[in-house]
Amino acid sequence: MRVLLLVLLLTGCSGSNTDPVSTLKLETPRPFGYLIGDEIPFKVMIETDVGVTLQAASIPATGQVNRWLNLNQVQLQQRELHGRWHYELELRYQVFYAPLEVKLLTIPNFTLQLLQNGKEISQIVPAWAFNISPLRELSIRKTANGEYKRPDALPLLLSTTTPWTGVVIALCVAVVSGFYLAALYGLLPRIFKRHVFRRASQQLAKLSKADMDQALSCVHHAFNTLNQRPLFHTQVHDFYRRHPNYKQMHEQVDWFFNYSNRYFFSNGMIAVALDVDKLKQLCEQAQKIERGSQ
Amino acid sequence: MILRTLRHISLWGALCLSLMVVAHQTISLLSLHTENQLISTLLAGKAVDVNAVYEGKPELRLARAYFLKQHKRYDEALTALGQIMEKGDKSFQAKVRYNLGNIYLEQAMLDVEAMRMNTAMPLVGLAKQAYRQALTLDSGFWDAKYNLEVAMRLLPEMDRLNLEEEDASNTQKSQLWTTVPGFPRGLP
Repeated sequence: MRVLLLVLLLTGCSGSNTDPVSTLKLETPRPFGYLIGDEIPFKVMIETDVGVTLQAASIPATGQVNRWLNLNQVQLQQRELHGRWHYELELRYQVFYAPLEVKLLTIPNFTLQLLQNGKEISQIVPAWAFNISPLRELSIRKTANGEYKRPDALPLLLSTTTPWTGVVIALCVAVVSGFYLAALYGLLPRIFKRHVFRRASQQLAKLSKADMDQALSCVHHAFNTLNQRPLFHTQVHDFYRRHPNYKQMHEQVDWFFNYSNRYFFSNGMIAVALDVDKLKQLCEQAQKIERGSQ
Repeated sequence: MILRTLRHISLWGALCLSLMVVAHQTISLLSLHTENQLISTLLAGKAVDVNAVYEGKPELRLARAYFLKQHKRYDEALTALGQIMEKGDKSFQAKVRYNLGNIYLEQAMLDVEAMRMNTAMPLVGLAKQAYRQALTLDSGFWDAKYNLEVAMRLLPEMDRLNLEEEDASNTQKSQLWTTVPGFPRGLP
């Protein structure tokens, strides 16, 4: 959790509204528990009048600050809010001090230059102190293997996740497109014809005598799919020759075709619930035959 | 009719493309498998064909550098690492620099034990530089922190002035005291 260290309310202190910098806030992390190589984020927030501009040249440059301190990252954000400029300067320091005991170090202060009506104004960002600790004991002990330092970093084995993912996805696409093509070329007729009457039964279950058109079309579609071409009443013998199992239900098939002819081509035909039941029974019978249970 | 033709063309296209991808990815998998075997062999301390290493991924060269260092072939290991300094992501680059630092530190320690201080000190300096670079790339690299501290103990850096009294605005690199070769042996 970041700790707000310093808030200077310049306007409030002076009682004047003409000060160019009204607020300077320094947002810093905890001031203790750092080790060699740690990064320390540091945020400076400045609020100024609209006419005041922060001179980019005065912002600290990345690189070495001193022997043990590097400035790795500098980021400036600027926005206007309620008629005032809000500058947010984010700095990321990295400390390379190797203390022999817990030691207080200080990130040095720096000066920002602001420009108002051609006049330069200096604003000092105060120094910040923190504690750094040693990572190891003072004396250097060798292990039983004679090792006094951490071993080399070993290379990780190369990841095969990406090619495996590629193989799986490409194989899925290949299988689906190949399967679809095989179906289009008629290489998988059995698979597509196997459940025609089951689907017809499912559709019929939702229909009533008022939907007789759909009910008849549904059964016709099932027979046509099984026959691989439209099946008419006159062709049923040829159908039985190729599908002998269905011959056992020839009476129901004959009734279906006769009923369908009368329904579609005679005037005044009224469907009753019994007809729908007969159609359902026909489909159930055909379903038993197609799944081989009769 | 046009739609059917388009459907056929797209299906055949998808089939051919996916089969090509399968073939390509399978070749990649085989190549990765071979390289992983080479890495395992090198890490086990066994030699492999050099040509296979130089044609392979940077991880393979890192493994070869490790193998060379294990066999005390420091110059070859340094050359191998120097060739992959800018390869891979930040984490990999940090590893390369860390291993580089370990080679320098190990050489320095051998020189210190042989009382060759003049050659040991520059090597420790190089080791510290390599560890600092590794930590700049990955500040959470604990082994690099530890070894940098070891190198700092071997060759401490001390400012001429006490830090509390130091002028904080001075951004010039401070002049160092003379270096102290060898590790401190601890308090009595």
